[in-house]
Amino acid sequence: MTQPALAITGLRKSFDKPVITGLDLEVAAGELYALLGPNGAGKTTTLRMVTGLTRPDAGSIHIFGIDALADPLAAKAVTAWLPDEPMLYDKLTPSEYLGFVAGLWRIPPAEAAPEAERLLKWLELWDSRDTRCETFSRGMKQKVALAGALIHRPRLLILDEPLTGLDAAMARAVKDALREAVDRGATVVVTTHILEVAERLADRIGIIGDGKLLAEGTLDELRAQAGSDKMTLEDAFIQLTRTPQ
Amino acid sequence: MNALMRRLRPGGFFWLVVHELRVATRNARRRARSTWIALILLAIFTGVGIMIGLGLRGVPIPAGPAAYTGALAASILLTSFMTTQALLRSQHSLYEAGDLDLLLTAPLPPRTILRAKLCGIAGSVVISFALLLLPIALPVAVLGHPGLLGVPALLAALSLVSACLGLAITLAIVKLAGPRAARTFGQIVGALLAGAVFLISQLLSNGGGGGRRSAAMSLFTWLRAHRVAAGGIGALPGRAALGDPVAAALLLGTALLIFAATAFLFGRTFLASYQQAGMRLSRRRAATGSVAGQFRTGLFATMFAKEWRLLVRDPALAFQIVLRLIYLAPIALAAFGHGKGPPLLPALAFASVLIAGQLVGSFAWLAVSGEDAPDLLVVAPVARAQVERAKLASAAAMAVPFGLVLPAAIALYAPLGALVTLAMTAAGGFIAGLIEIKWQKPAPRRTFARRRSGSILAALSTIIATAILGGIAAVAVWLIG
Repeated sequence: MTQPALAITGLRKSFDKPVITGLDLEVAAGELYALLGPNGAGKTTTLRMVTGLTRPDAGSIHIFGIDALADPLAAKAVTAWLPDEPMLYDKLTPSEYLGFVAGLWRIPPAEAAPEAERLLKWLELWDSRDTRCETFSRGMKQKVALAGALIHRPRLLILDEPLTGLDAAMARAVKDALREAVDRGATVVVTTHILEVAERLADRIGIIGDGKLLAEGTLDELRAQAGSDKMTLEDAFIQLTRTPQ
Repeated sequence: MNALMRRLRPGGFFWLVVHELRVATRNARRRARSTWIALILLAIFTGVGIMIGLGLRGVPIPAGPAAYTGALAASILLTSFMTTQALLRSQHSLYEAGDLDLLLTAPLPPRTILRAKLCGIAGSVVISFALLLLPIALPVAVLGHPGLLGVPALLAALSLVSACLGLAITLAIVKLAGPRAARTFGQIVGALLAGAVFLISQLLSNGGGGGRRSAAMSLFTWLRAHRVAAGGIGALPGRAALGDPVAAALLLGTALLIFAATAFLFGRTFLASYQQAGMRLSRRRAATGSVAGQFRTGLFATMFAKEWRLLVRDPALAFQIVLRLIYLAPIALAAFGHGKGPPLLPALAFASVLIAGQLVGSFAWLAVSGEDAPDLLVVAPVARAQVERAKLASAAAMAVPFGLVLPAAIALYAPLGALVTLAMTAAGGFIAGLIEIKWQKPAPRRTFARRRSGSILAALSTIIATAILGGIAAVAVWLIG
C-alpha cells in the first residue's frame, strides 16, 4: 500500500479555548487536497502544526511516513509552506531570496540555480529578478514566495489561502503552478475560502468545523453526504457546516 | 480624553488636537513594557525632586548671567533632542501612521489637519520631556522657589518651536532628496541632530586641549565665554524659567507666532509631500545575467549573505550602528594620535571590548530578533541551534573589521597586550551575541533604536559582561606594559 503524503491522527490544540478537538485526516500521495471550513474552524492552526510552526497538545502527524513531531527536520526537508502573508525579505531580490531558501534546504548550487531560473521564467519574474521585493505588488510577492516554496522540489506543498488578494491573472498563475506541482508528483494541501477553486482544482475536499473533520471526499461524495447530488459545492458546504439547532 | 472629545465640536481643530494626543499617548503606553517601571521611575524622580527642593529650601537661586547661561545651555540641548523627536514624529505622520488617508479624505481643510498634527507632535514632545523634568522642577518650585513655575512655560515654548523645526526639516528633506530617499535621510538627520551637541562638544573640548568634558559643560563654558546669555534674547530662557512673567509671555508668544507661520507656510507643501510619500519608495532595477551567483554552499555562507545584504540595503539602520562608532571616534583618534603608555593603553583595551560587545550585540539583535521571516526559518529543515550559530557567526563576522581597530592601535606599543585585548574583544563580542540570542524577542528591524526597552536585562548583562572582560583586558595590558 502506498504511504499517505500526510496522515494526521487525534490532533488536538487549545489556546484560550479548544481549537482542534481530535482531527483525523489522510491525504494520499500525488493528490491536490482542499481543506475548507468556516472562519475560525482551525484550518490554519492545523496546517501550522503540520509545518512545525505550532506544537500540538496531542495527536500525531506523519509526512510520507516520517513522524513530524519526533523527527521534524526530516519532515521539513520534504515539505514546503506558503502562508497567505508571504515569508519574504523586502530588501532582497527574487534571485537572492531563492538563493537563501535553497541554502536553508541545502540544495547544491549546481542544482538550485537552473531550477531558480526555470521558476523565475515560468512565474514571469525573470525580468524582475534583480529588483528588490519591496517594490512588488502583493501578487508578485506571492509568486516570489511560491517560487521559494517550489525551489527545493517539495514532496508535500502546503498553502494557506494562496489566492487572497490576487487579481485574476495572478490567481490563474498560482493555480497553474499548483496543478503543475501535482503533475510533477508533488502532493498539495491547500486551504481556500474561494469554493470555486476547490471545486475546479481539488481531487478531494475536506471540510472541518469545530476543530474536527466534518466531511471528506470528492465533490460528488460531498454532495451525496449533504443529501442532494444537484447541489453546488457552496450549498453542500453550507449544509455540512451548519450548526445543528 | 474620550470624555473631552465628546465635549468638543467633532471635526474641529481642538477635537483633532485631542485625538492626536490620544493616539500619541496610547502609542507610548503600548511601547512601555511595564507601566509599573514607569511609575516607579516617576516616583523616584519626584522623590529626588523633593529632596533637592528640601535641600535648596532657603537657599536663593541667584538670577544672573550664570543662571541664565545654564538655562540657555539646557534649552539648546533640550531643543536638539526635542527637534529629533519632532522630526521622527513628523516622519511617522507622513510615512507610517496611516491616518492621513482618512483625515485628508474627510471634509476638513488640510491646513486644519496640519495644525492639529503639529499640536499633536508638540504635545507628545512636551509630555515626554515634562515627565522627565517636571517631577524635579515642580517640587523645588513648591518648596520655596515659586519662580521655577516658569519651567513648564519654557518647555511648552521649546516644544512648539521644535515641532515646527521637525516638520520643516522633514518637508525640506522631501523637497531636496525626493520621496524615495526622504525617509532614510530623515532618520540619518535625526540621528545626527541627537548627537550633534555631543559631537560638537567633543570637538570643542579636544580642540581646546582642556580634557574631555560633558556636552552640557562644554556648551556652558562656550556660552559663558562669549557672554551670550548676559542679556537680551539669550537671557530670555533663563528669565522665563526663573519666573519672569514678561520673559515667559515673550517666549510663548514668539513660539505661537512661529507655530502659526509654519502652519500657514507649509499647509500646501505638507499635502504635496504626503501625496508624494505614497509613491513607490524604491526604484526598479534592470535585470542582468544569470542567477547562479546567488546560490551558496553551507548555512553560514547563506546566512551571512542574507544578513549582510539586509544591513547594507537599509542605510538608516546601518547609519545608526555606524553612529556609535562616530561617537567613539575621539577615542580612536587619541589612540593613533597620542598613544602612549598607561593609562591610555588599558583604557583602549577596555574600550575595545566594550565596542565589540556593542557591535556584535547590535548585529546579533538584527539577525535574531529583527528577523523578517521567522516562520521561514522554522519550517526549513535546519535545527534552531544551527540557525542561531550561523546568525551569531554572521554578526561576529560583520563586526570583525571594527573590532580589530583598537587592538591594532595597542599593538603599535604593546604587541602582547594587543593579543590579550584581541582575545578579550572576541570573547566580549561572543558573549554579547549569545546574550542577544538568549533573550531574543521578535521585533521589526525599524525598532532597532528602541530595542533596549524590550529587554533591559539583556542590556545590563551585556554591559556587565563586557565591562568585566574589558577590565581583565585593561589590567592585563597595564601589567604587561
